[in-house]
Amino acid sequence: MIEVRGVTRRYGDVLAVDDLTFDVEPGKVTGFLGPNGAGKSTTMRIMLGLDRPTSGTALVNGRPYAGLAEPLREVGALLDPFSMHPGRTGRSHLRVAARTNGIPERRVAEVIEQAGLEGAARRRIKGYSLGMRQRLGIAAALIGDPGVLLFDEPINGLDLDGVRWIRGLLRRLAGEGRTVLVSSHLMSEMEQIADRLVVIGRGRLIADATTEQILSGLGQLQVRVRSSEPDRLLAELEERGFTVRRAGDRELQVEDSTAEDVGELAHSLRIPLHHLSEVRQSLEDAYLGLTSSSVEYHGREAELVRTTTEGAR
Amino acid sequence: MTAPTTTPAARGVTRDVPLGRVLARTCAAEWTRLWTVRATWLFLAAAAVTMVGIGTIAGFDAASDPVPPQGDAAWPASSITSLPAQFALLALTLTAVTSDYATGGIVPSLQWTPRRGILFLARTLVPVLTATAAGVLLALASAVAAFTAARPALTLPWDEGLDVLSTVAFVFGAGTTLAAGLGFLLRNTAGGLVTVFLLMLVLPIMLGNLGYEWTTTVSEHLPGTGAAYLLVGEVPGMTGTSSVITMLCWAGGAVLLGWLRLLRDDANR
Repeated sequence: MIEVRGVTRRYGDVLAVDDLTFDVEPGKVTGFLGPNGAGKSTTMRIMLGLDRPTSGTALVNGRPYAGLAEPLREVGALLDPFSMHPGRTGRSHLRVAARTNGIPERRVAEVIEQAGLEGAARRRIKGYSLGMRQRLGIAAALIGDPGVLLFDEPINGLDLDGVRWIRGLLRRLAGEGRTVLVSSHLMSEMEQIADRLVVIGRGRLIADATTEQILSGLGQLQVRVRSSEPDRLLAELEERGFTVRRAGDRELQVEDSTAEDVGELAHSLRIPLHHLSEVRQSLEDAYLGLTSSSVEYHGREAELVRTTTEGAR
Repeated sequence: MTAPTTTPAARGVTRDVPLGRVLARTCAAEWTRLWTVRATWLFLAAAAVTMVGIGTIAGFDAASDPVPPQGDAAWPASSITSLPAQFALLALTLTAVTSDYATGGIVPSLQWTPRRGILFLARTLVPVLTATAAGVLLALASAVAAFTAARPALTLPWDEGLDVLSTVAFVFGAGTTLAAGLGFLLRNTAGGLVTVFLLMLVLPIMLGNLGYEWTTTVSEHLPGTGAAYLLVGEVPGMTGTSSVITMLCWAGGAVLLGWLRLLRDDANR
């Protein structure tokens, strides 16, 4: 369990993280989304005690990370895959990790096998590709068999086989009851992997909801309807207070409504329908909608968005 | 795929680990970290070639002297060769600290040992003790090389040897502690090396030879002047006590500032 409470981090005039509050629960993969510079990496570094928050607290299993005696047995993390000494072999890198936390040497061989690095473990890291560095970082994160895992962009640089491996690994880790937080820019991947999403923009919380809730527009459902009498249907819907826009010659999109509402209204008015469905956005659409709002609103959006977000919980 | 080693119920349970054991583990990790990079071996090789090489040459010189020394000790070879060789050991210690900042390795280091005081202690102790022990062994090897090359012109009286080797140990210990402190403080290999060379070599020589009273006074308060006096003597204005105090103050100050920077600042920003 990770608890982030009112975390703010300022670098001079730049507010990297602004009063961020959210939880990462066990047994789920939580996606951590936001545009470049949104403050994701800074937040993760604060969780790991690498950066100090200007205010607020980040607790792992109820305690600050910096106080853990055997952190690798509680938290495994992959941040920057280039943050390794390139002159050391992959195996030596993992041996150092194991020694710091009193982890038996056999775990080094186990995680090397688990990460698929058997053929590269005795080579110096400077010869590793980005994907191999990612695998080595993941191996180091898993070495203490921790209950909490943090991965910053773990899919970067992985080939298709690697992507499928990490997808399965994350699902399995969460299935074992572990707390898994993953940041990524790859929306299609997050849509497949994440149970819950925390979306931030400009250091502020934009949304904290299940993936399903975010995909359905945080409770603001949209309905697509096609009819041979679109003008009449549009007028009747607007008369009843629905927000409607044309989506084609005979097609309408009704905001904040359900298929049942629109279908029953059309039936009562004896308007023939040829198509009726609730719109499921792609995560990319939902994400872009959420984050573009955050840029648009600047200082004003926090209250509006937080209200919307809380309503969706 | 390998099965997890603990059950979900056991996972995340924090064990109470005594501070001493955490320090011992961190020291073990630092030891592994030190000998698994090539730079450590290169610096040790440079120190070995310098000390044993110069010791051997000094021994052959003594043997080929038209009036060979009779019964002189070979121990001066240890202290004289320590003067140039100390820079290899200073660089070893400095890079043991700064390479983690240069490569970003400080991020996993602090992830694995988040108690910064422990990491600081282990990362200072291990390279300093390693460099000092290696330096003392090489100083002994240098004297033995001189003794062997000059045989039978030079001798190896062990009581004098203990004095020389303990002085060499102090100079290497204080110097490498200064280098480790500067590494934590500056977080930069090039800047650290330049600073070490300025403090240990360039400024003591330059300021001491300018001829002004104030530059001489400044020079007498630099760690390089203390090291030179302790190893070879012949530094006007210095005494054994003033040299020891000067070196200890510089080492202590650098360690204190480096410790404060590690404790207070972000990992690598």
